[in-house]
Amino acid sequence: MRIRAFSSRNIKELLRDPISYIFCLGLPIVMLVVMTIINESIPDMEGAPKIFKIELLTPAMAIFALTFIMLFACIRVSSDRSDAFLTRLYASPMKSSDFIVGYMLPFGIIALAQVVITYVSGEIIALVKGDSLDIVNMLISIPFIIPSMILFISLGLIFGTLFNAKAAPGVNSAIITMAAILGGMWMDIDTLGGSWKTVCSCFPFYHSVKYARYAFNGNFSDLWESFLICSAFAAVIFIASITIFSLKVKSDKK
Amino acid sequence: MMKTAIKIDNLTKKFGPKTAVNKVSFEIYDGELFGLLGVNGAGKTTTIRMLTGLSAVTDGDAEIFGHSIKKDLQKVKPIVNVSTQETAVAGNLTVKENLELIANIYGMKKNEMEESIESIVKSLELNEVLSQKAKTLSGGWQRRLSIAMALVTKPKVIFLDEPTLGLDVIARRELWNVVTSLKGKITIILTTHYLEEAEALCDRIAVMAKGNIMALGTAEELKKSVNKTNIEDAFIEIVGGEKK
Repeated sequence: MRIRAFSSRNIKELLRDPISYIFCLGLPIVMLVVMTIINESIPDMEGAPKIFKIELLTPAMAIFALTFIMLFACIRVSSDRSDAFLTRLYASPMKSSDFIVGYMLPFGIIALAQVVITYVSGEIIALVKGDSLDIVNMLISIPFIIPSMILFISLGLIFGTLFNAKAAPGVNSAIITMAAILGGMWMDIDTLGGSWKTVCSCFPFYHSVKYARYAFNGNFSDLWESFLICSAFAAVIFIASITIFSLKVKSDKK
Repeated sequence: MMKTAIKIDNLTKKFGPKTAVNKVSFEIYDGELFGLLGVNGAGKTTTIRMLTGLSAVTDGDAEIFGHSIKKDLQKVKPIVNVSTQETAVAGNLTVKENLELIANIYGMKKNEMEESIESIVKSLELNEVLSQKAKTLSGGWQRRLSIAMALVTKPKVIFLDEPTLGLDVIARRELWNVVTSLKGKITIILTTHYLEEAEALCDRIAVMAKGNIMALGTAEELKKSVNKTNIEDAFIEIVGGEKK
């Protein structure tokens, strides 16, 4: 009951904020369109980058869109902490676990909807171009995104817990940029190789994008290594978010 | 004999070397409107924070309807509610949704919740703003909603921490009427540093300074204790006495 009530409140707060539509839905779709147009302008010759092709771009955009879920999760938590609303809830029978699940669940639902909308947009763009994406692979690949969702929402919870409402968006912008660069959303890290690839593979973002592309294109035999690495990162960061939030609740009560 | 709602026994709060609340002991009776009066930093809010589980107790204890705030906090929480100094509402939710949210968090059943919301909306005259988003309300209405959210769970004890702080004179007087209407129905602990507010509303008043209870009694008793005719002079005498 408590979790359902708190989750419902968090979903309403997000859905009633017009800015969330611009960032969570508008921006990834616009980027998908813009990148496709850029790709159309690149001559189809040997050595031309492939990552802007719609079948590789769409899953990368779905992961990129999750960074905005992270941003909004962070803003929600930091805003609740900065005003007295969370104080009221601390005085209620709610427990730390109710807060964690109550924050994670609605952002997970929104993230899932966001992935579906990004994939549908990718399919529409492909159809406009006269191509078609494999819908069965697309559907099967959706559950594989869940570890990435947990990863980004947990990061949002951590930053929202550690930083105040003024600092949190700035810190998140840095993480969004970092995720885009280190995740290989705009550049082909595997082709670049060398020490840059080594650096990128130390972060979860690279693995997140890599396995999402494999899953989206039905290459399920190759996705497991990246999927498991990303899942391990997600598990660690999820546990860290619970620990940090619980410690913060305790320290707030000192 | 009046039934005890809250029994505070040597309640102490220390922040490092600083003692914010110093071995405070007193009782509050069931249905009483009890005022905690003091200047900024007197320890009023810290006392309320300990009683509502928002702050850990350094020493001593308090019982709310027989439940220790140290040992049985989870039994205390469902029977108390608080309206904090700052307005604590969910801005993008309507007034009704805010009330439903808190009622659900306290585990109220649907019928009970609807009945309680209807009653609160009527008594606090919230009907005209019921479907308005909380963030669009004026400060006075937001404060009224904040109190409604504390009342909707039908608590046995409600803590109102400086409920009229920052409100204009009309909004303040309207809130006085709301608080007065609750007298006798529920135990209310009200903190304020507005002397006339404490005098007008409270059955008994405890004057706090530097974490200590300096005096406790009705407004009349406080004035008599220092031979003053108005509450402001009495307050200054009581608090000033502590500085000597």
